Amino acid sequence: MIWRAGPWAGGGRSYIRAAAVLLVLGLGSVEPARAAGDESAIVRGEYIFRAAGCQACHTDSKNKGAPLAGGRALATPFGIFYSPNITPDPVHGIGAWSDDEFIAALRKGRAPDGRHYYPAFPYPSYTGMNARDMRDLKSYLFSRPAAATPNRAHDLKFPFGYRFTLWPWKLLFFTEGYRVEDPDQDARWNRGAYLVENLGHCGECHTPRNFLGAADRERRLSGNPAGPDGKKVPNITPHSDQGIGGWSETDLTYFLKSGFLPDGDFAGGAMTDVIEESTSYLNDEDRAAVASYLFSLPPIARLGSGSQAE
Amino acid sequence: MRKAIFAVILGLATVTTAQAFAADEPGNVIKYRQAVMKAIGGHTGAIAGVVKGEVSFAGDVAAHARAIQEMSQLVAHLFPKGTDNESQAKNRALPAIWAEPAKFDAAVKAFQAASANLVKVAQAGDPSAFGGGLQQLGKSCGGCHKPFRAEKK
Repeated sequence: MIWRAGPWAGGGRSYIRAAAVLLVLGLGSVEPARAAGDESAIVRGEYIFRAAGCQACHTDSKNKGAPLAGGRALATPFGIFYSPNITPDPVHGIGAWSDDEFIAALRKGRAPDGRHYYPAFPYPSYTGMNARDMRDLKSYLFSRPAAATPNRAHDLKFPFGYRFTLWPWKLLFFTEGYRVEDPDQDARWNRGAYLVENLGHCGECHTPRNFLGAADRERRLSGNPAGPDGKKVPNITPHSDQGIGGWSETDLTYFLKSGFLPDGDFAGGAMTDVIEESTSYLNDEDRAAVASYLFSLPPIARLGSGSQAE
Repeated sequence: MRKAIFAVILGLATVTTAQAFAADEPGNVIKYRQAVMKAIGGHTGAIAGVVKGEVSFAGDVAAHARAIQEMSQLVAHLFPKGTDNESQAKNRALPAIWAEPAKFDAAVKAFQAASANLVKVAQAGDPSAFGGGLQQLGKSCGGCHKPFRAEKK
């Protein structure tokens, strides 16, 4: 089970990805340096920022923390994580980071000092972002006000407090590399896949995790009985009873825009933040791409509810 | 004389309201509250059908908006003490409602303002503005449900 979910699981695709990464790295070195404060990069970066949903986790809004200054608690079965400061403050934030360091954080889950990040930071999703989106995102973040809020250490259960445990974890469960478009699918589907699987990192909450906190890929997006803060997260595959099988694509598109469920009720829990801080900012085309991608997935029953396929 | 009549009416009103609360079983208040909330949800769902372009009943939106606006006036008194989810089953009203009355009050007022605005937008009759009005209303739903309603189990 563990081995099947390992980095070798992708088969031929992993090699394609690896080749693609090498290609990008090669191109990166000849790319001209971008002027600081490039306006269009900031505008594009803001859209990426919204699509990637950075705001909600990196702001401790409950305690009126400064925007993006971190400190928001995320209670998980492994302990409590506190999000870090991602404002351009050079000491407490990411103001001293180079483009390459920023990209390594998202692509490889690695901090500038070489430490591995815990996957509470959704780099297993962000790794699939393209380098331009990453750089634009950095431009936007660097255009935001700095806040000198120090980072708070995570409060984790044994043995997860030891960061060296992350090295084997990544070896087993993390596949690095940007998303390669599926040539058999149209542009809309590919855009939807990028938004759902990478930028939007929907699976980080909606996919159940194994006992080591890695996404259970066979039950992708089928709901998580133990989501962040101990909450149950719903099934968003097109399963007819448990998932969104009874919704229309318009229902889903409108939900992502407004928060209204098809029955007129309003989104609950963390999804309210996602809608307010992220999906309501997307354009209609992107929301429709998300919907058509989700409806293209196989319906999967949630963990512990009998048969896996519908 | 007018003052006296007013005082009597006010007195009666106070007594009847107080009696109503004293006589109503918390479980029944919750049932009633949920019926009202479902009614609101039904009307927002209907407006959403128009906004999504699924049906062309744009002329109905004002009627739904008025219904929501009237319901919004009831919400404040649907939460008597003792109807929280810790003391009563089958209900998701968090104790925070009674712990933070000022915040709850503000959230209810925001809902009332958003539903009044939706009536205005609906009566103005420009269907392209309905979506914005409904979205504003949705925000006010979340303004109460997020801090004060427990998630589904």
